Amino acid sequence: MTALLSIEGVTRRFGGLTAIDDVTASLRHHELVGLIGPNGAGKTTLFNLISGFTPLSAGAIYFKGRRIDRLKPFDIAHLGVGRTFQNLRIFPNMSVFDNVSVGAIGAQGVGVVSTLLRRRGPAEAISEQTWAALRAVGLEAQATELAANLSYGRRKYLEIARALALDPELLILDEPAAGLNDTETQGLADFIRRLHKGGLSILLVEHDMKLVMSICQRVVVLASGRKIADAPPAVVKADPAVLEAYLGVET
Amino acid sequence: MSASERPGKGLSRLLTLAILIAVFALAPAALYLAGRSYLYQVANLIMIFALLSASMHLVTGVAGLLQLGHAAFYGVGAYTAALLATRFGLPFPATMPLAGLAAALVAFLVALPTMRLVSIYFAVATLGIGQMLYLIMLNWVDVTKGPNGILLFNALRIFNFDASKPAIAYYVVAVVTVVSILVIHRLSHSYYGNALRALREDDQCAEAMGVETVRLKIQSFTISGFFAGVAGALWAHTAGYVSPADFSFTVSILILSMVVLGGLGSLPGAIVGAVILIGLPELLREFKAGDYRNLIIGLVLFSVILFLPRGLIGEASALDLMRRQFAGAWRRAPDRRGGMGWR
Ligand SMILES: Nc1ncnc2c1ncn2[C@@H]1O[C@H](COP(=O)(O)OP(=O)(O)OP(=O)(O)O)[C@@H](O)[C@H]1O
Ligand SMILES: [Mg+2]
Repeated sequence: MTALLSIEGVTRRFGGLTAIDDVTASLRHHELVGLIGPNGAGKTTLFNLISGFTPLSAGAIYFKGRRIDRLKPFDIAHLGVGRTFQNLRIFPNMSVFDNVSVGAIGAQGVGVVSTLLRRRGPAEAISEQTWAALRAVGLEAQATELAANLSYGRRKYLEIARALALDPELLILDEPAAGLNDTETQGLADFIRRLHKGGLSILLVEHDMKLVMSICQRVVVLASGRKIADAPPAVVKADPAVLEAYLGVET
Repeated sequence: MSASERPGKGLSRLLTLAILIAVFALAPAALYLAGRSYLYQVANLIMIFALLSASMHLVTGVAGLLQLGHAAFYGVGAYTAALLATRFGLPFPATMPLAGLAAALVAFLVALPTMRLVSIYFAVATLGIGQMLYLIMLNWVDVTKGPNGILLFNALRIFNFDASKPAIAYYVVAVVTVVSILVIHRLSHSYYGNALRALREDDQCAEAMGVETVRLKIQSFTISGFFAGVAGALWAHTAGYVSPADFSFTVSILILSMVVLGGLGSLPGAIVGAVILIGLPELLREFKAGDYRNLIIGLVLFSVILFLPRGLIGEASALDLMRRQFAGAWRRAPDRRGGMGWR
């Protein structure tokens, strides 16, 4: 079984700090993997490495068998990696529709000439993909609203819709449940499960243990930049090394 | 709403029609009735600056790149047109596109190395390059005749037809301006425009969505330069005289003020900004307030940014844009490969 995403001996140093320390992990086609770890463990850094935001210090990352760690973020997005951000990064002064359209635009590309000639084809493909993503998260009724006017919970879905509009194969979500209440988190859990059933591979960073343990097929645990566990939820829950990392106690 | 449409169109059709009627029927009728050729010059100047403001709207209002040297590209266009007309006897229909292309070429060459600069450093670079081009106009006397400027005789010639009579010149400027603005409108009100808006809002995030940010920035900067060059040709051929003073830093700030006054991201806003900032001082001129022109413009820019950050009808706050320009400035590239200020 070839992996969709494989991270091989990846290290990332920031000056004297090793944020990611020789991590090897992989994600198979159509797998839903959780990535957990205490604050500052390096989860977001790993996301930034995968999506090309920061360069590696050592190691390699492959996506669909292709080495991606030297590619630009937009190339990686074109290959089929969609992401969200821990600190919501929507486009506040654009409508909900226009926000989501950026994902579709990124996937399809836009050109000056085809815009000036008003070519129907590319524009229709973009709008269809945008509407499909809006429907997937249930934001089509608010399409013309300004993104800044959405509630916090809805903005999270807006960000996911924008990544979905890319029509990605792998979706990486950085703490989508942060700041949501219990009912909202439950709704999000169902939503992520639906996306996964729909054929997406998902890598999920989350502090909400209940969420991770209930929906993920496998959980990878980072602590101080090192991988300390990589197993199904039930096994990870009982792993003394994980408990120690989280509680800071010897067991 | 059909599933294949971009929402939020509709009204702009009506607005376009109203503007066309105003430009091609009402304004010429009023000018004819007023019967003063000086007013034709004011009308031409308003249209030329509407085009300058619209072209800066694309790069600053939509794509969020703070352009502080726009007047220099206007100047490159004006000098290109003036030189082609005086040295090679080319008529306006030939000099105009060439002026646009010359300005676009310079803009492209400027954009290549500077587009990877972070926000405020890019703004400072455009300022510096604007000054450089200005100094070239001022000091390359062999070609530009320096501060004396270049005089164009029989300026607005369309092949064998003399279009320099005020009423006819007005229509020439109007047609070129309106067509150019329609092209800019098509770019900014499309998915292409959405991609540019995403750069203004958060270019790193746009890149993660698959948008080729650097390519789009270079493109929009070049297109904006092209239309500034076209405006330059209009100026050279209607004023019949070009000199460096018309393309100085204050003119760049004047154009920026138009975009900010109208509101970032709004094309109608950019046009209204030009009408107000050219029209108002001309009105005040009757009261001998011409000397305070720059002071007035400075005050307008200052108070709009502080008290009306979205301008008259803008979609993004100028204050926010400024703040973000500076926020990005102190961030060092985490790998320390590029120094401070580079991506
Ligand atoms: N650009 C950077 N420059 C310097 N240090 C950084 C940078 N980005 C992250 N770090 C450091 O790397 C370490 C890992 O940070 P990271 O954000 O990846 O953690 P995280 O697991 O996502 O934490 P959290 O759960 O709080 O989101 C931290 O010590 C952080 O301070
Ligand atoms: Mg994080």
